[in-house]
Amino acid sequence: MKLALYFTFPYPDRETFRKFFDETLKFNFEYLELGIPTDHPYYDGPVIRKTHGKAKENYSEDMLEEIVKEANSRNIRVYTLVYYNHFVGREGEFLGKLKSMGFSGAIVPDLLTDYFSERNQLISKMDKFGMALIPFFTSSTPDSVIRDIAGKTNGWIYHGLQPSTGIKVPVSTDLIVSRIKELCPGREVIFGFGINSKDEIIDLKKSGADGIAIGSTLVPCMESMDLDCFRSKIRMLEEGVNGI
Amino acid sequence: MYEKAEEEIIPRKWYNIVPDLPEPLSPPRDHDPENSSINLLNKILPKEILRQEFTSSRYENIPDEVVEQYLQIGRPTPLIRAINMERLLNFKGKIFFKNEGATATGSHKINTALPQAYYAGREGVEEVVTETGAGQWGTATALAATLNRIKSTVFMVRVSYEQKPLRKKIIKLYGGSTYPSPSNMTEYGRSILSGNPDHPGTLGIAISEAVQYALDHGLKYMMGSVENSVITHQSIIGQETKKQLEAIGENADTLIGCVGGGSNFSGFTFPFVESSSEMIATAASEVPKFSKGNYGYDLIDTAGIMPELKMLSLGADFVPPSIYAGGLRYHGAAPALSLLIRNGRIKTDEVTEERSMQAMELFSRTQGIVPAPESSHAIATVIDYCRKPENQGKTVVFNLSGHGLLDLSVVRD
Repeated sequence: MKLALYFTFPYPDRETFRKFFDETLKFNFEYLELGIPTDHPYYDGPVIRKTHGKAKENYSEDMLEEIVKEANSRNIRVYTLVYYNHFVGREGEFLGKLKSMGFSGAIVPDLLTDYFSERNQLISKMDKFGMALIPFFTSSTPDSVIRDIAGKTNGWIYHGLQPSTGIKVPVSTDLIVSRIKELCPGREVIFGFGINSKDEIIDLKKSGADGIAIGSTLVPCMESMDLDCFRSKIRMLEEGVNGI
Repeated sequence: MYEKAEEEIIPRKWYNIVPDLPEPLSPPRDHDPENSSINLLNKILPKEILRQEFTSSRYENIPDEVVEQYLQIGRPTPLIRAINMERLLNFKGKIFFKNEGATATGSHKINTALPQAYYAGREGVEEVVTETGAGQWGTATALAATLNRIKSTVFMVRVSYEQKPLRKKIIKLYGGSTYPSPSNMTEYGRSILSGNPDHPGTLGIAISEAVQYALDHGLKYMMGSVENSVITHQSIIGQETKKQLEAIGENADTLIGCVGGGSNFSGFTFPFVESSSEMIATAASEVPKFSKGNYGYDLIDTAGIMPELKMLSLGADFVPPSIYAGGLRYHGAAPALSLLIRNGRIKTDEVTEERSMQAMELFSRTQGIVPAPESSHAIATVIDYCRKPENQGKTVVFNLSGHGLLDLSVVRD
């Protein structure tokens, strides 16, 4: 089972982000997701939403590139999580920059809901730049759309378990996992949103999930600049992923 | 005793359209950037309802207890051929109507009230709270609550509370309590009344008060329309209609229904979404959400306590005129319905109160059933449709969402 870690870059500030990033590198994980801060991260829950404001104030393209290159040098693939409303109309320039920084691809959470008619165009543009569009699906994504987008992309799939990040409403995890695996046979599917306990990770593993993505649960440790809290959370995630 | 054939018409699963939509449904969104109104749903909705709200499952099992309750309140409702109406219109085709007015509470609203109250009761809830406009939803909630041995409290839009005393009496007979909204029972109601002590109320205000009251008193809230889970429960209408048409060897060329929040129309038509049937949704011209509504995120309730939904809407602050069809005064339309209207799968019509009154008279005189003012809007669309030369020979099926026997004050002397 794979582990993907999400951070809004550079929350809460550059110096603290660096410290936590260095700590992160001491652990084993496969994918790093870096959220590019935006004014309206409206599909995120309140925890991640709050990180965007501070991250935006401290944003630095040079430092972002440095972080991506460092992760790549350790065989960690780096993806950005960015709202399409952040770069619509300037896709070429934006994607070119991401590619040169070393990003492997992008997760675009508002593409299928707010820019549905532009989905194929964006996939083509990303292909041209050698960037993978990581399909972002939820329980509200219709079967035909999942099949269509999965057929036009090659990377792993990101599936949100909850209606928003860091939120917990009752969901049938087994059903969600079996549905997406049935619709996308053979594809690697990473599940995110609202995962914050070892038991949940173990249950997801038993259901057939290929990996988990974690974000909101790490934010309080970063907010309080508590490295011990951060370490113990990541250890807990590792234990869940390894089924200990 | 139930006839075996009747039991077989009632489906054992509700149908959820979300996995079959042509485009993804936009998720609910928080109104307040600092807090999560989605998280707040955990406090006010039964767990099972919340699970159904966000499920990707195409079908949800209907518990045996709910099937039994459906039978008790008059399901399956009849599908009747409106032969007299066909003759009067000189229509060279067939008109059928699904008579949801034949339920114990006289409208389709009981179809979702029963499962919501059932799940609430099963989770140990002792009281549910809701709002009502014209009174049909409040009546359904009160009956569903008493059948599931729980109490009910209903915030009724003040203008209806005063104009429709019979609805209050029925709710009381079922053991429910009603309060005129805006009321002094909630902070939001008090704030509205302090600005205007004679405020007539709106459905948006009543929803806000019901949700606030549920939060203040640790109760569960019952949702009358708009939300996915409600529409899923209402799919019983369309699924029964499908079986009834099949049993007589008919296919629906056209399906017509009225739209307030969209639950009766969606429940009636969504099970046919993959067929070639034409679908026409009728709203009130006085509440022109189809022709003048904006497609975007908007509030469900005026106070902004609930998550925003992406839908066709006239704006949560839209103050509808006092038309008789109180159930059509809501500012928005359910997200899945809005999406299908936007992409052209569902056509629309808007009908004036005058046209709906003429339709009510025509239907009463030909078929003997007094339709609800809301359903009369759909009948007006049917009449117009069946008078067009290009529609001759077609099989038209409409949903009679309720009867109008408690709305007779609208009939002109």
